[in-house]
Amino acid sequence: MKTDPKSNQRSERDISEHAAKLKTYRLNESEYELISKLLARPPRGIEWALFSALWSEHCSYKSSKVHLKKLFNKSARVVESFGENAGVVDLGEGERVAFKIESHNHPSYIEPYQGAATGVGGILRDIFTMGARPIALADYLCFGEPTASRMTQLVNGVVRGIGGYGNCVGVPTITGQTEFHESYNGNILVNAMAVGLFRPGDKIFLSKAKGPGNWVVYVGAKTGRDGVHGASMASESFEADSAAKRPTVQIGDPFYEKLLIESCLEVMKEDLVVAIQDMGAAGLTSSSFEMASKGGVGLSIHLDKVPLRDSSMTPEDILLSESQERMLLVCEPRKFDRIAAIFHRWGLDAVTIGEVTEKKTVELHWRGEVLTEIDPDLLVENAPQYQRPWQPLLPQNRVNERSEIGLKETDWTTFLKETLTDVRGTSREWVYRQYDSRVGASTARDCRDSVGIVRLKDSERGLGVVLGCRPHVMRFDARVGGVDSIAYPALELALKGFDTLAVTDCLNFGNPERENVMSDFVASLEGMNSICAGLAAPIISGNVSFYNETMGKNITPTPSTGLVGLRADVKNLPQSTFERSGQEVYLLRLPGLVVGGVAQEMRQKKITGLGIADADAICAFVRMALKLSEVQGVEATRAVGKFGLAYAFARMATDGFGARLDFEALKLARGGEIDGAALFEEHLYEAIFAVDSARARALDEAFAAVMKTWHASGVKPTLTRVGRTVAGRLEIGSLIETDTASLIENYHQGWGRGFADLH
Amino acid sequence: MSLPVGVLRFPGTNCDRDVFEAVTSQGARAEWLWHADRFDPKGYRALLLPGGFSYGDYLRAGALAARSPVMDSAREAAQRGVPVLGICNGFQILCEAGLLPGVLIRNQGLRFIDDWVELNLVNAQPHFGRRMTAGIRARLPIAHADGRYYIEDDGLKRLQDRGQIWWTFSKNPNGAMADIAGVMNEAKNVAALMPHPERAMYEWMGGTDGAAFFDL
Repeated sequence: MKTDPKSNQRSERDISEHAAKLKTYRLNESEYELISKLLARPPRGIEWALFSALWSEHCSYKSSKVHLKKLFNKSARVVESFGENAGVVDLGEGERVAFKIESHNHPSYIEPYQGAATGVGGILRDIFTMGARPIALADYLCFGEPTASRMTQLVNGVVRGIGGYGNCVGVPTITGQTEFHESYNGNILVNAMAVGLFRPGDKIFLSKAKGPGNWVVYVGAKTGRDGVHGASMASESFEADSAAKRPTVQIGDPFYEKLLIESCLEVMKEDLVVAIQDMGAAGLTSSSFEMASKGGVGLSIHLDKVPLRDSSMTPEDILLSESQERMLLVCEPRKFDRIAAIFHRWGLDAVTIGEVTEKKTVELHWRGEVLTEIDPDLLVENAPQYQRPWQPLLPQNRVNERSEIGLKETDWTTFLKETLTDVRGTSREWVYRQYDSRVGASTARDCRDSVGIVRLKDSERGLGVVLGCRPHVMRFDARVGGVDSIAYPALELALKGFDTLAVTDCLNFGNPERENVMSDFVASLEGMNSICAGLAAPIISGNVSFYNETMGKNITPTPSTGLVGLRADVKNLPQSTFERSGQEVYLLRLPGLVVGGVAQEMRQKKITGLGIADADAICAFVRMALKLSEVQGVEATRAVGKFGLAYAFARMATDGFGARLDFEALKLARGGEIDGAALFEEHLYEAIFAVDSARARALDEAFAAVMKTWHASGVKPTLTRVGRTVAGRLEIGSLIETDTASLIENYHQGWGRGFADLH
Repeated sequence: MSLPVGVLRFPGTNCDRDVFEAVTSQGARAEWLWHADRFDPKGYRALLLPGGFSYGDYLRAGALAARSPVMDSAREAAQRGVPVLGICNGFQILCEAGLLPGVLIRNQGLRFIDDWVELNLVNAQPHFGRRMTAGIRARLPIAHADGRYYIEDDGLKRLQDRGQIWWTFSKNPNGAMADIAGVMNEAKNVAALMPHPERAMYEWMGGTDGAAFFDL
């Protein structure tokens, strides 16, 4: 049979064009086939770009959705959860809070200042788009080693970017966490959390478009070319060419955002809005299609009415632009004039770009032409869900002997000072001094403390915010790391008298197409879930950031968390440092798991552990810590964390009062012989209490009372008096003896030693 | 009924509600004054310019706000002797408007600073914190990137000679000339400082030294 060589050539060219198109739009062949099936024809023109954006990992959660469905997400307090811009919990007394944490890792690595700044801007919009006034910010940052390429520039840019945006927009940064490890050398993490408050009477606004004939209104900044294809960029691993992706990073303007906050809250206060959503990842595409899909209605949108910075932009550019400080809202036509007047008063534009239609179809118009008519569910609801391969996690780092996790130092006082100057243990003052911690005049505790606290104006109660996930525990074991990413911050909250209400999480992982990454992902979610369920603290919002991989190297699995807790008032909050001499010092301890911790990583570049982390016992321990922290006379509390007990005591001594700790009592508390190494191991979990000596008995009694009802199987906590506070000295038996002045000096000088150019 | 206190509000001002509440918490009545509108200069017993980032601090901190319509009325009120207090960005605006001598430039370390500072009261202020006498100390929060007071030598000498230095920093955080944290005009009815008294009103805020500033 003869073949026509010409037609053969053409089909080869078609094949290569088709492959190039798939590559451009970051879709694979099976996704292409699914799209063709859903549409009953191959995608055309603009539809390629729409599917590319909304079916990206970033927007569709296609690798994680099957697992996220299993998250513990219910409690009587939950008002809104996943599916809206942020989760909302009811605080009672008419007050509610919206909060969420979100990643901006890829943009921040490419362009640190703008990447971090727009991360803050984006998460704030998720909050005020619901009608809540933002009242607090928190940042979870993971950097590489200080000596890694570009790291000084990245740290500087990210911190300046967060400050530059948050300070100007006028929302206080009240807590944060900053980690350093070589696994982040080529892929830093920048996760920003925002908390917003609905005061009594404030209405919650959702993103469901409703009411055929209602208008679709574009408000805020004009659309430019920045951030086009940002969502798909964030869904890929980094290769060598990350600098070439700089144009996909958005540019932020916090002044504009401030105007947008005030004007949006004002139109909501006057109840002029039917539905509202910010234009975040995948810009106008995601906001319009999601609003239509959620509302079960159609939208007719005229792209040629979108305010542009550059008149040569194509419909595809307009749809995918991630220009910042823009919102899409739906309103009744008769209310438009009032809306426009409010935005104009704040110097912003409000432009009608379309309307809500009965038939569930999004129509996109461009200069008299209909570009597409498409069912929004196809893009929003019908993205593929992948069951990526994974294996049950095997404990790999467990050892059978305590000696296998021990350090072999000779001078433990010197080692303690080394932990205080190491970048992993030194003061983060350089970071948080650049953030406004008190704008809003509601801050009761800031980044200087273990928990950020704002006072709620109407009820005068305290709202506590703390971030979690300790990457070194994740490196030990992803399931234990998941447990710890809820349990440790919950313990920190409990020790300041806060009951954890709910959680937001930002799941930063590597390439989900790798089995070990997916296995860690599943195991850490299981760990998180066990504690969330035990504490009745649902996960109500968050995001997933996959493909944190550079040149084939994946980051430490890092499910960062933000916990929000409530307390009856902000009076008599326990301090985190010793503030006078003569206090009795107690160690509250749950026997369970011991890991070598950050000290072991520092010396041996690995982390091993002995024992198990029992979720039931840990949850009961957290509840006990809350009870004990409420005892009259408890003046200071601290969870024992990285670098173990010696470091925790040293941190408590940074206000000039230290302690004299009895070695025999510590032995008793730990239930056996201890050596210097044991003072730097990390026990899950321990907490230090400093109590007014006249009232110490009340603490013992409260402990005994809780123990009467202790039912968690197997392990039992202990409370042991281990010493007394003194002025100017820290002594732990004869192993550690130092004046507090040198501890303070080391703690504050370490940063400059790690980053000589950042001071 | 006595006249209200006017609180000026520019686009980007973000300590506006904090200052408004600080005023009302101390028993006075407060009213908003919008940047685009002029007002009756005889209608207010005092004017407050809160901190923040008016107009995003674009061009220079305070430069655009100083030229807005509301400031025409504020200038007239100041000339009539109405007490005017600027806090942080309000200080920058008053300098840019020529109602106070000197300027505020970028901090010495070129970074934003958030911290608590100790201040010394050099010359008493007859309107804002009028019960505080020279020589006392106060502890207040600061939060600024452009808080380094600068003035030429002869100007500094004039400030010193005429008792116009209001507060100095005990430990200079930003490189301010002569440790200056706050100044007054010659008539002493216009005063401003970089620290934020509205953020130190109650024990739970970490200090109470700010409350006295709002006893109007």
